[in-house]
Amino acid sequence: MTDATQSDTAFRPKPSLPPPPNTVGVIGWLRKNLFGGPVDAILTLLGIYVVYLILQFAVEYGILNAVWTADTYRECLDINKGEGACWAGIGAWFNGMMYGRYPDEEQWRVNLGGIILLLWLIPFWLPKVTGKIQVGMSAVLTFPFLGSALFIGGDLGIFLHVMAAIALTLFVSVWLHVTLCYVAGKSLPQTLVSVTGFADKDDRLHKYVLMGAFGIGFVLAMIYIGTWELQEVPTTIWGGLFLTLVISGIGIASALPNGILLALGRRSKMPVIRVFCTAFIELFRSVPLITILFMAVTMMPLFLPVEINPPKLAMVIVAVCIFAAAYMAETVRGGLQAVSKGQYEAAQAMGLSFWKMMALIVMPQALKLMIPNIVGSFMGLMKDTTLVSIIGLYDILLMGKAAGQNPSWLGFHTEPLLFTAAIFFVLCFAMSKYSQHLERTIGGGYGRR
Amino acid sequence: MSTGFDFLNSTAGFSIAWSIIDYEAGDTYFHVFLVGIANTLIVSFFAILATTLLGFVVGVMRLSSNFVIAKLASAYVEVMRNVPLLLHILFWFTLSSALPPPKQSLGWLDSFFLNNRGFYVPAPVPGDGFDIVIIMVLLGIVAAYGVTVWATKRQFATGQRFPAFWTGVGLIFGLPLLAFLALGAPLTFDYPALKGFNFQGGADVPRAFCALLFALVLYHTVFMAEAVRAGILSVSHGQTEASYSLGLKPSWTLRLVVIPQAMRAVVPPMISNWMNVVKNSSLAIAIGYPDLVAVFMQTSLNQSGHAIEIVAMVMLFYMTVSLTISAALNYYNKLVQIKER
Repeated sequence: MTDATQSDTAFRPKPSLPPPPNTVGVIGWLRKNLFGGPVDAILTLLGIYVVYLILQFAVEYGILNAVWTADTYRECLDINKGEGACWAGIGAWFNGMMYGRYPDEEQWRVNLGGIILLLWLIPFWLPKVTGKIQVGMSAVLTFPFLGSALFIGGDLGIFLHVMAAIALTLFVSVWLHVTLCYVAGKSLPQTLVSVTGFADKDDRLHKYVLMGAFGIGFVLAMIYIGTWELQEVPTTIWGGLFLTLVISGIGIASALPNGILLALGRRSKMPVIRVFCTAFIELFRSVPLITILFMAVTMMPLFLPVEINPPKLAMVIVAVCIFAAAYMAETVRGGLQAVSKGQYEAAQAMGLSFWKMMALIVMPQALKLMIPNIVGSFMGLMKDTTLVSIIGLYDILLMGKAAGQNPSWLGFHTEPLLFTAAIFFVLCFAMSKYSQHLERTIGGGYGRR
Repeated sequence: MSTGFDFLNSTAGFSIAWSIIDYEAGDTYFHVFLVGIANTLIVSFFAILATTLLGFVVGVMRLSSNFVIAKLASAYVEVMRNVPLLLHILFWFTLSSALPPPKQSLGWLDSFFLNNRGFYVPAPVPGDGFDIVIIMVLLGIVAAYGVTVWATKRQFATGQRFPAFWTGVGLIFGLPLLAFLALGAPLTFDYPALKGFNFQGGADVPRAFCALLFALVLYHTVFMAEAVRAGILSVSHGQTEASYSLGLKPSWTLRLVVIPQAMRAVVPPMISNWMNVVKNSSLAIAIGYPDLVAVFMQTSLNQSGHAIEIVAMVMLFYMTVSLTISAALNYYNKLVQIKER
């Protein structure tokens, strides 16, 4: 009896557990990520089946059954019975979807404008170039004038002529600067000063050298632009992706400065400014963009003198800028709130004025924190510009729709939409990846832990 | 140019393709305004409901440990959010024109039909005494709220938990059900049936409504999913571990520790997403769904010419909706925020 009790209470080890399943190598990865249990395995198989269905449809519709050469939509249907895409139509309408009704022989101007803008922005990716802020500012502030001089053409008028000449001078000097940075390792101002022999003279005199050089460049540019003989292309026949990029480009470029001003106004201590900015932001954020666009095209002409009669594009751009600024203001305000109070106090203790405090201490930190949101609202703006098609501007979306209404392409609706979707996907995806890159590089030390 | 709001009383000479409240050509412009508001609100309501539910599913899927499911969800998110909403709407509207004609409708249970004109469902026809059921629903909600308040008080006082949630569900659904059965089921349905070239009877929603709803849900689900994902990621893993070490079951941990903390980070983006759904429903104008912007800001404005008044009324409506949503949810947000110092 006692034996039994003892043997009952004595320590008896349980049999050892089997070793844990393999978690390394291909099998381990599969077990961990795909077949963790019965439910997991079913989900995995279901997921793979869904992917298979999508891929099968995409390949059959987009490649195997697709028609690549045809003259009308009817021909496409005769070949594939509507079971595949008609990419031939995209080929036929490609020019229209890119440039709208911009005359064929003048399209080089659009391309040239695009190339100039790209060249102007390339220094951002070149590590050895100094003064990137000035390069960026010069592009954002003056390219629109050079661009509109190129795109509109005709008789430029004195204002546009002067602004385009300034832009051209700056563009050339940016690239001189870039070349000098790489060849001689010195910036353009330094080179100019040393070449003219002002290097050992008083620093105050240096700016006259720069101004003189700019003046010479400006005069040359004025003369050069005076020789242009460009046929006038009114904004009413602009269209396609070009128009989409013009509207969203101006919207994006104006959003940040206006947004910063509005956000500062909303935090201002002066009641009139604060109330005005708050009302402005809240009003335009709480109504749909389409109502703002309608307002711009129906109401704005009522308030302007009859003789001004602005083109629709100008009114739409104003509406988009207002909308973009209101959204950006809230993003910037979020950033301003995220900067710790100590930073403001430290800047004031150093004796910095309000604008210096903002420009040197607060804004750089606030904007860095908000990079994902800022780029997010740029992307939102770019997508929202498609709404201009509703009020009859022939952007890429409306050009695609027009393709399906053409007599020989009747019914050609799905492919232009897919093509446009692909273009937007590429543009927005690139922007979002670039924002992640920015966040990792200049946003480092803040945000994500 | 004439100004003033007198035009609201004059008759609008156009007809509206579909409306949730009764409308006939010849009703006043003010009636048109109401029709537009109702049409906008009904599509926004369903879109918000579906977006929120699906958003939670997709957001959790993106965090799944299952590789295929997680990648599928992130591919969905990337594709949907990088394509403009207007494109989504036009795309689904174009595709819906490829649905079969009424005679070959896609049917389900002989009472739901989908064809290239729209979606047909049975319409409920309330009989005598159905209003008592409705009153019971309201009573159930009040009772459930009372039980929740009492249960919280008792838990704070004694530490004992009361299954307030399930009691509430029982009250809200059980009470009306009992009343419904006791009154002899006073509800019949009017089934749609194919007569001639189209369906008669039942309730129908036009193709544009379906396409708009589908596109809004597909697009906005992505933003909801991202908010949910960020919310769950924002709860530190230490919280889960701590609650396990207190001996809480995983389901309790999720319900009492993780989700309440995640909701704090989810609610603010959710507010703005809901407001965006209401605002973006205005894109209906592109496919001819008669929402407020289409019937009032376009058709009525073109006919009456009262640009300033009409634009102001439409903007006022959207501002009211946005501010109401944001006020309600900001109140909720205030309740769940961490109370520091």
